[in-house]
Amino acid sequence: MAASISGYTFSSVCYHSANSNSDHEGFLLGEVRHEETVSISDTQISSSELLQVVEVHNHEPCAQLFSFYDYAGQVNEESLNRILKDRRKNVIGWYRFRRNTQQQMSFREQIIHKQLTQLLGVPDLVFLLFSFISTANNSTHALEYVLFRPNRSRYNQRVTLSIPNLGNTSQQEYKVSSVPNTSLNYAKVIKEHGAEFFDKDGVMKDIRTIFQVYGALQDKVQSVCGEVEQSERVKEKVQEEVNKLKQQIVLRKRKTTDEERRLQEAQNPELRLTPEENTEPPETALLSRVAFHTPSTPERPGPSANPPAYSDLLSLQNDSLLPFSSSPTSAALLPRPQAVGSPGHPSPSPLGLGLSAGPNPAPSPGTPYLGNGDGSSSDSLDRQAAGQEDDDEEEDDEDSSEYENLVSEVGQLPPVSAIVLLQGRPAALSPDGDASVRGSQT
Amino acid sequence: MAVSAVHLESDAFLVCMNHALSTEKEEVMGLCIGEVTTDSFFACFGVDTNRIVHIHSVIILRRSDKRKDRVEISPEQLSSAATESYRLAEMTGRPMRVVGWYHSHPHITVWPSHVDVRTQAMYQMMDQGFVGLIFSCFIEDKNTKTGRVLYTCFQSVQAQKGSEYERIEIPIHVIPHEAIGKVCLESAVELPRILCQEEQDTYRKIHSLTQLDPITKIHNGSVFTKNLCSQMSAVSGPLLQWLEDRLEQNKQNIIELQLEKERLTQELATM
Repeated sequence: MAASISGYTFSSVCYHSANSNSDHEGFLLGEVRHEETVSISDTQISSSELLQVVEVHNHEPCAQLFSFYDYAGQVNEESLNRILKDRRKNVIGWYRFRRNTQQQMSFREQIIHKQLTQLLGVPDLVFLLFSFISTANNSTHALEYVLFRPNRSRYNQRVTLSIPNLGNTSQQEYKVSSVPNTSLNYAKVIKEHGAEFFDKDGVMKDIRTIFQVYGALQDKVQSVCGEVEQSERVKEKVQEEVNKLKQQIVLRKRKTTDEERRLQEAQNPELRLTPEENTEPPETALLSRVAFHTPSTPERPGPSANPPAYSDLLSLQNDSLLPFSSSPTSAALLPRPQAVGSPGHPSPSPLGLGLSAGPNPAPSPGTPYLGNGDGSSSDSLDRQAAGQEDDDEEEDDEDSSEYENLVSEVGQLPPVSAIVLLQGRPAALSPDGDASVRGSQT
Repeated sequence: MAVSAVHLESDAFLVCMNHALSTEKEEVMGLCIGEVTTDSFFACFGVDTNRIVHIHSVIILRRSDKRKDRVEISPEQLSSAATESYRLAEMTGRPMRVVGWYHSHPHITVWPSHVDVRTQAMYQMMDQGFVGLIFSCFIEDKNTKTGRVLYTCFQSVQAQKGSEYERIEIPIHVIPHEAIGKVCLESAVELPRILCQEEQDTYRKIHSLTQLDPITKIHNGSVFTKNLCSQMSAVSGPLLQWLEDRLEQNKQNIIELQLEKERLTQELATM
């Protein structure tokens, strides 16, 4: 089995993945062809082999995780149809992008895959896994990709994914001199009959024709590009309006809870909660503190004593990601959430599972992901980059790998504010109902 | 002052990836356009000011020297890049200039070669904050059938011993940018044009040779036709397809966003 994906589709998946601060997933659309290759062996009996070629034409990204399945991995056919609409018949696989994880299908992915196979009626549904790792100092990043066909036997599950490209555009095929020939007949024949190829200016007719084809194609590319550009601007504008509305709603809600609280206090002064007596967990204590003191309009967190609400920080993120405009001081006071992909409990010493996950046994069901699970030290990245597989079990520095998870997961703002903004926040605390749940790999 | 980090906008990252994945037989290159900011936040803690290079878009360059292991930018290209950055500055209202260069390493390790490090050192002589990016692609581990794409950012420093240069690693982060900017789209569609231009230039040189017999001329013309066809099917075609898909996706997203906007407006009105 062979598989191919165009460079533009591949880059587009990378682009959507880079834009998402959590895992990213979507569907692969394309077609499966059967190519027959005839080979003749010494015994003169021609044998033909049927090669299955999976061609990925484009991808349909999912806007959020859990958009067509729930936490138990149950696929909802209605949601599936809503996402795919009439492209359902073109689905040949699906993909998932995760950071700092192993190159293996997770249990949830496997059960989703089984259901998708059934629902979509594609017996050889493929799964493309993208895994992203970075060096400790974030100077080098690697995106690894493996194409699985899980419905086949367990020993033949990985398929090479090729990216067709220009290949050899070397211009050495032009001949700079003719093969010397003194035969007059030769010269006469080729001049007389070869004249067919040239027009009155001595230019080859084919060249003019192909150039016209190219010109028409480039014009079309240009015009569609113009349309895309317009649609991007419209999308940006509407997205901004939606964000503003969300902000206003959040503010309005906070205002009403504010007022309700004040009303309650006025009625029952002895039940008044002060920050010092608050026995709630740190995050909600912070919120209640903010509820008392936050001004009515959101402002960028200045170096004030009170840390801003999570919602303010979230909206900040949307407004602008220019690092010099945010001031991380106040953000640094917020509790440091869990690193992405790190276990909620102190994990045992890292198993040092290498990136070569193919023949390795699946991790124990109790701890499917140990946060790193791959040698993310620059040494191993070195070796990966050089194309060698690192088979040795490497001792990972657990502390530094947790840090890697944080920074590489975000990879956007300068470390402090970024870590606090986007990491490990349980879904319940997110006021605008974003469902990006950390540790969503299983 | 060394650069402390590079922030690469994701749509510029997209164009770099497109470019790097366009050919596996030779290295491609381009220039990075953006701005450098100094963040004096840490100054109050006694830490040196941070210089952060923001890359907003890239320009695809023509390879003047098509040798497999050499990537160098001619002065003409640098000057036309300067014009391009001026245009971007006009559009965004912010000062933009050439802040770095990128090139690809197909089938090769992502680390810069000695030539790369020396070239980078040379650029740093005219601009201390100049950064180099390398995209390594078409790497496959045959055992695990894992493909890899890597990218790294570096600058050059004088080595302690002797006059050789060595690289220093610069952290690079890809900044999310939900919509693709106009300049990035324009850069992306430049690629087929640049490829065709290169082909035309080569053919013209060949065509001007006078001592070729008709058969050779037909041969050369066919090579041109073949190469142009190859460009159209490998680059222009997939590019057009991706643009159409993106347009379709955007239209869909806009409809969904409009619905959400209406819903939110109603919700706000009832509060």
